Amino acid sequence: MVVAPDPTAPVVTVGVYYKIGFRLEPQGRSGFAHLFEHMMFQGSENAAKMQHIKLINSSGGVLNGSTMYDVTNYYEAVPSNALERVLWLEADRMRALKVDDENLRNQRDVVKEEVRVNVMNQPYGGFPWLDMPPVAFRNWANAHNFYGDFADLDAASLADVQAFFRAYYVPNNAVLLILGDVNSSEGFALAEKHFANIPAGPLPKFADPSEPKQTEERRGDVVEKFGTLPAMAIGYVLPQRRAPDWFAMALLDQALHGGRAGRVYRELVLEKQLAVEADGGIDDIFGYNGPSQITTRIFHKPEVTSEATLAAFDSIIREIQEQGITASELDQLKVKWRSDYFATLEGGRGGHMPKYGLMHLLACFTLFDGQPQLVNTILEDFLAVSREQVQQVARTYLTMQNRAIVFRKPAPAAQEAA
Amino acid sequence: MASQAPRSATAVPDLAPEREVRWPQRAKFQLANGLSVILVESHTVPKFHGELFFRSGNAAAANRGIALAEMTATMLRTGTTHSTSRQIEERLRGLGADLSVNAGQDTSAISFAGLSDHAEPLLQLVNELAREASFPASEFERERRQKLEEVKLERTQPGFLASERLRKVLFGNHPYALVSPTEQQVSAYTLEQLQLLYRDFYTPENAILLLVGDFDSPAMQGAIEKVFHSWSGKKPDAPQSAPPAAPRGRHVYLVDVPGAVQAQILCGVHAINRKHPDWIKLGLTNSLYGGAFNSRLVMNIREDKGYTYSPRSGVNPLRQHGYFSVSAAVRNDVVAASLTEIFYEIDKLRSLPVPDAELLDAQNYLTGVFSMGLATQSGLLSQISTLALNELPDDYLETYRQKVRALTPPDILSAARTYLDSSNMQIVAVGDRKQIESQAALFGDFEIYDAKGNRQL
Repeated sequence: MVVAPDPTAPVVTVGVYYKIGFRLEPQGRSGFAHLFEHMMFQGSENAAKMQHIKLINSSGGVLNGSTMYDVTNYYEAVPSNALERVLWLEADRMRALKVDDENLRNQRDVVKEEVRVNVMNQPYGGFPWLDMPPVAFRNWANAHNFYGDFADLDAASLADVQAFFRAYYVPNNAVLLILGDVNSSEGFALAEKHFANIPAGPLPKFADPSEPKQTEERRGDVVEKFGTLPAMAIGYVLPQRRAPDWFAMALLDQALHGGRAGRVYRELVLEKQLAVEADGGIDDIFGYNGPSQITTRIFHKPEVTSEATLAAFDSIIREIQEQGITASELDQLKVKWRSDYFATLEGGRGGHMPKYGLMHLLACFTLFDGQPQLVNTILEDFLAVSREQVQQVARTYLTMQNRAIVFRKPAPAAQEAA
Repeated sequence: MASQAPRSATAVPDLAPEREVRWPQRAKFQLANGLSVILVESHTVPKFHGELFFRSGNAAAANRGIALAEMTATMLRTGTTHSTSRQIEERLRGLGADLSVNAGQDTSAISFAGLSDHAEPLLQLVNELAREASFPASEFERERRQKLEEVKLERTQPGFLASERLRKVLFGNHPYALVSPTEQQVSAYTLEQLQLLYRDFYTPENAILLLVGDFDSPAMQGAIEKVFHSWSGKKPDAPQSAPPAAPRGRHVYLVDVPGAVQAQILCGVHAINRKHPDWIKLGLTNSLYGGAFNSRLVMNIREDKGYTYSPRSGVNPLRQHGYFSVSAAVRNDVVAASLTEIFYEIDKLRSLPVPDAELLDAQNYLTGVFSMGLATQSGLLSQISTLALNELPDDYLETYRQKVRALTPPDILSAARTYLDSSNMQIVAVGDRKQIESQAALFGDFEIYDAKGNRQL
């Protein structure tokens, strides 16, 4: 466990991270890790359904959970006088989940509406985070529908819930974090009191998420039901996490996708004016632990072809491969990186979840690296990147045989309606 | 699930004594040119966050063009008399800064955040955008084209279609009725309109500058005086619009999106603005109804019935007139069932006093979440913005918690009866007419529109 004291405000943030995400959920059960996350709010041994939410809200706090590629988190921010109550609740559900078929039916319905509101009934829903994996990857772990096919959600049973809980929700596969208005000795003592007697289980056996070597560019098409603009997403597989190339790739990402100053937006939207929107980046750079991509999204004008748009994008990549970046550009990128890093540490989910970012980094550095203190030093590795390294990673990784492209094409009806 | 594990303590731990909530000092001053400034120190990270607000937005520009203040705001960063668009963006990056310029109904704002060690150059850039925007013609045509694509895209988003229709229904001829321009209106914008609006709205007498972050207030005050002292300009005349008439009776407005796999419900009724003495009372009532996870509406239509993922209610504080709204994106076959529960929970709150224990829970929730604003620079800035823009009393932050705690079940009953006015609530449903028409029509007089806003038979 990790305690990070800061007495600025009488607020404490608590997180429990389990090292299992949607990447390694069981085959034939797409979407299960996320459905399971919902089940963790449905009742535990001493806190029935509704109690988790009620106890946190009525203590003056907020709570949520989220399922990511390689971790699932549960977190609360509460006035600091509710710390012990929060720890008791988290320990209770780590010890024993207590849910029934009725709870499962209820949350299956809720999750389906979540998928409809975020994906199926929205323009560009799931673009590209759900479109890209089946095109880019060959290992089921990386390539399946993370939100879940409805047939798989329907097939999920209470026995699956119990098996998943036993396999992955053991204390030795988790990290507890307490941040904010707490002193270290009190934090550790309370954690000891509530969590120490939860028995360890066998460490989970994780499937191998590695990918077979890619040898050529991959492409796929997805129909856009509602939106009026043709769009594309271009993803390149990233270097090994925390390898020297990975730090350089983060600065290259900033050069390409750093807002309106980034080369992609500047060239495609502001200067050549082929696109009306272009963005991208490395999604949750500290929070994944398997194959992942740096991705660019481009929404281009209907009168511009996708070939012309892609050619303009390719010339941006070629220029950076051939010319590299300037010294003053790199200086700017580093200042912005430093500023963004501090913002990550402080923030911030909607202003109501202080220290979410610090919690997330500490958790991922603990579960993936066994070194939470990386949070204090990792910034230096980004600031040490050279121009030559940026150019070199552009040459090595931004290649045809390392990329996949998804074209999101408006259905004829959508274009007509526009 | 059965458990083999040793038992945990079965009783919920009590809350420890509360630590005092202490709001930081606010340094307030005004420059000779009329610019009001509020500074608040918060040393969480070596950064600061700021807003330069102008007290005029799209509503004040409605007699000139729809959403004209927003288009003007969009243009600010595309060029000044000293800098091209590209130079502005690269300066921002080199300062480690984020910046956006936006306009809503009641205000226009330059919002920014940056590193404390580059504070003054960022203020200089904000000053340049506020005073010396040059509105280059080629940038304008590009931004206009982007805006045209944006207004087309909006019409494919169920949430937008719902709020657009609700605003029209609630606000009639008032500027608040219009949330977005048509393609024709965007095409009709002229550079001269934008420049005139910029000259009128972006003045120090019309502005308020708020900064929260890791700085020393006296030193920051010196930097602000240096950067902004030579700015000048008068407060613009604020066109007054007659207060909108509240629609009477319950009406249903269906926006037809053929093939939609879900229905977006949005209900609304006139309420009050942020300055009204009942604001806190209504806020607590909303929190009990549908403003929190642990609220009656969420427990009913999500956690009990599974109709929806994210139901919620809220009080929307426009300067001249607020409104209360309830929203839920629901399965197509439970539109009628969801509306029934939405109104059941409202009418219950209007009929029966809320139990003491439930009220206490909601009071704890609202006061606890309010204090979380202290923990981050952006949270604190948002609290200070609310205070400044609504001219709330200086002790508002310090007294808010007591005011919430003083409320009683009869207060909630009276607020619900006054403001959660279910018999005059307007209902919008966006979805596939074939699947939801017969369900929606059960709830009142009925009109149907297409996604472009044309009335259908």
